[in-house]
Amino acid sequence: MIMTSKPQAASIEIKPVFDEESLYEVQKKVHPRAVSGIFATWRWALVWITQLTFYGVCWLPWNGRQAVLFDLVERKFYIFGMIFWPQDVFFLAILLIISAYSLFLFTAVGGRLWCGYACPQTVYTEIFTWIEQKIEGERNARIKLDAAPMSSRKFGLRSAKYAAWTLLSLWTGFTFVGYFTPITTLWVSTWSFSLGPWETFWMFFYSAFTYLFAGHMREQVCKHMCPYARFQGVMFDPDTLTITYDTERGEPRGPRKKGVDPKSISKGECVDCGICVQVCPTGIDIRDGLQYECIGCAACIDACDQVMEKMSYPKGLIRYSTEHAIEEHWGWREIVGHVIRPRVVIYTVILGAICVAFVWGIATKPALRVDVIRDRATLAREVEGGLIENVYRLHVINVSETPHRYAVSVTGLPGIDLVGDRIVEIPAAGAKSISVQVRVPPESGKKGSNQIFFDVKSLADERISVHEKASFLQP
Amino acid sequence: MLKVLLVLWPSFVVAGIAEGVFFTVIDPQELYLFGQPVHFSKLATYSIGFLGFWVVCAGSSLMTWFLLLGPGDLNRSRNDPV
Repeated sequence: MIMTSKPQAASIEIKPVFDEESLYEVQKKVHPRAVSGIFATWRWALVWITQLTFYGVCWLPWNGRQAVLFDLVERKFYIFGMIFWPQDVFFLAILLIISAYSLFLFTAVGGRLWCGYACPQTVYTEIFTWIEQKIEGERNARIKLDAAPMSSRKFGLRSAKYAAWTLLSLWTGFTFVGYFTPITTLWVSTWSFSLGPWETFWMFFYSAFTYLFAGHMREQVCKHMCPYARFQGVMFDPDTLTITYDTERGEPRGPRKKGVDPKSISKGECVDCGICVQVCPTGIDIRDGLQYECIGCAACIDACDQVMEKMSYPKGLIRYSTEHAIEEHWGWREIVGHVIRPRVVIYTVILGAICVAFVWGIATKPALRVDVIRDRATLAREVEGGLIENVYRLHVINVSETPHRYAVSVTGLPGIDLVGDRIVEIPAAGAKSISVQVRVPPESGKKGSNQIFFDVKSLADERISVHEKASFLQP
Repeated sequence: MLKVLLVLWPSFVVAGIAEGVFFTVIDPQELYLFGQPVHFSKLATYSIGFLGFWVVCAGSSLMTWFLLLGPGDLNRSRNDPV
């Protein structure tokens, strides 16, 4: 497989695709230093929330089935009490639009909140880095280990790390497939070695991707592979919150003794300790200004605040701020006051409207669906008694979670009646195709196409009914 | 390696989208292969479909990459160091 070897400076020669500028430069391995603080706590909270959801929800039962299951074989998506059929693809489209607009809105207001806190790439990198740190030690220990020649100790540490990563990846792959195949049966067949070939394939495929992305590629995914990272800039404006280094306050930077008043040595407040660079998961220097590589994780804010505290300087040399706020020396009050602006209002209104439509659509989703298909083989024919007959196929889908018996009837022409099943019984979340012959007297209706209606009504609940249009051909 | 990434990654993303749209609209059992109804399991059809989309999209990406080569790349003599 590709990309399994870590890119190391000078060891791999890569010719740029373009002569003028290199799209992908040779990467230096980033060894992010661990950091603690309010934003680190937020990031870990998001790791727990998203991963408890991902690893946990697939095990929840609901009405004797898996609560959330995207059953590809039956072509039905179960989400707690709701069942979605291919005909409901409309809801999926709306959900995607909602996600996109939420992303636009959050980005316009708070910058790359998604990237910094919630993106799976960030979350898994965070977990994998934590494992790495627990096994191989802190940043300096890892750099030393990297440079050291292979020894039994290095081999042991590396093996332990790779083994832990592999186990986590395999569990992630198993969980992923567990959303498409009932996870309890998947669990049983895993241990009895009776997994289907494709389930096995996707489990390893997803595991390998998790391992590769979170263990080895990390920030390169954000820098080179993520389309969002490349266009998120268009949602930014001068009032968007970004992680900002206060150049005016920090420069000229330079080392000094603890507690020295920066003015007395005609320096800014940045002590040039470089910790903001060491903690950065993408290996950039935030002091160079806003860069597309910055995923907005705020690790540098936590790190710098700790240094400022030690130096007895006010915190926030690196902080969430806006371009306007830095220029005009605004405080939080003015920043918050500028949140409401045309771009944000437009995004919010559109998002609100789509959300309302979505909820309304879900709430009024019919419990019964009927598709009428004319039998194309025989258009119209004369049967005994001189009656004219048309044949239809009714595809009746019970979208509800209880079995139902439905009565089928037809109206729309004088003397119209049907031959065949008048009662159709369909299990919960099931579907059935029935053949229905509709007969009318020859003098009924006009020559050619006549409009008729099929009525399918639940015997148990009058409100569950469908009135479906069809056309009857009179020769 | 990064050239490979440039070709394989965008095609993977687009193949995922194509797969989703195609199989939402079309039931695998409605498909015909060389005039015979597809007899694979649905999971196999979906999987083969995805890998197929990926290959096709990768072909397109590969061609884009090829056409993006500048004169410098094309005029380079065979004996020049790569």
